[in-house]
Amino acid sequence: MKTREDIFNHLRTLLVELFELDPGQITLDANLYQDLDIDSIDAVDLILKLKEYTGQKIQPQAFKHVRTVRDVVDAVEALLTRPTAA
Amino acid sequence: MTLLDTKAGRLWRIFGTGLVFVLFGLGALVLSLTQFPVLRLFSTNADTARPRIQHAMQRTFRLYVEMMRWLGLLTYEIDGLDRLNVPGRLVVANHPTLIDVVFLVSFMRQVDCIVKQGLWRNPFLRWPVLWASYIANSSGEALIEDCARSLGRGHSLLVFPEGTRSIPGQPLRMHRGAAHIALAAQADILPVKIFCTEPMLTKGYPWHRVPQRRPHFRIVVGAPLPPSAYIREGEAAAVAARRLTRFFQEYFADTVIVTAACVDEPHIRAAA
Repeated sequence: MKTREDIFNHLRTLLVELFELDPGQITLDANLYQDLDIDSIDAVDLILKLKEYTGQKIQPQAFKHVRTVRDVVDAVEALLTRPTAA
Repeated sequence: MTLLDTKAGRLWRIFGTGLVFVLFGLGALVLSLTQFPVLRLFSTNADTARPRIQHAMQRTFRLYVEMMRWLGLLTYEIDGLDRLNVPGRLVVANHPTLIDVVFLVSFMRQVDCIVKQGLWRNPFLRWPVLWASYIANSSGEALIEDCARSLGRGHSLLVFPEGTRSIPGQPLRMHRGAAHIALAAQADILPVKIFCTEPMLTKGYPWHRVPQRRPHFRIVVGAPLPPSAYIREGEAAAVAARRLTRFFQEYFADTVIVTAACVDEPHIRAAA
């Protein structure tokens, strides 16, 4: 079972690898669009990677209201704990 | 200093600008009901209509540019015109004014443009934009696919990476869409710098606020560059797009309009 900590750490690695971000910038409260300069095309790449990570099908709607890193962690956690809900 | 830079000259330019706006609207209406439908009717399919309609767009925009010059509203010069007419290139330009697209289309016999999705609901303009095979600015991924497809067919495509007009006196803010298109299509990039000496039809200025002096537009078509220069093995596309966008940001940095006017006018700075 993956903890929130695991999810956050994985997400940080992904963000650093995919988008050349500085790991220090990535906090739970960082806003993806404003603070981390992620655009809608990046979001598609990120969702693809999260699909691999969770092994779940991800509906784009699940990420529609995502604004911060914490929102992503929450969404991934929800996918992992309630697989049927995806 | 010419007569057009005096107080009376400025009043004339306000009148002229209004006149051109009215003629532009009327022209769009008349052509949408006459020339464009005729061209489409005499074309066997969408692929044969496209170059004809785009060529008609060029001539119409050429007329507007020359009209603005005859009326004394502006002067212009262009460097590297022949490079604009090599097909299959992604033409990337900065966007200081409302009439940049009029200028660039007037120099290109055929070019695909990205236009607001809303135009497909406009009763007059939906047909011309459809017949010209212009691309609707849909959401991120779909738009990049549509654009890459257009370049893949050997069309040239015009994009303004800023997505909207620049704010005078402010550093440019480029989105990464243009870079993604170039990388997805593997098309040569043709950078075009548009310099305008005065803020005319810029963001934050109503049309009637014409500058004190008649503006001069200088359009400089750069050397084409292959996107492969920005791709490294085993690297995420998002990283290459960031690198290419940083290049655009630096390349176009000297086109920002800086005049005393934009320093004096806080409302324009506040719009940033």
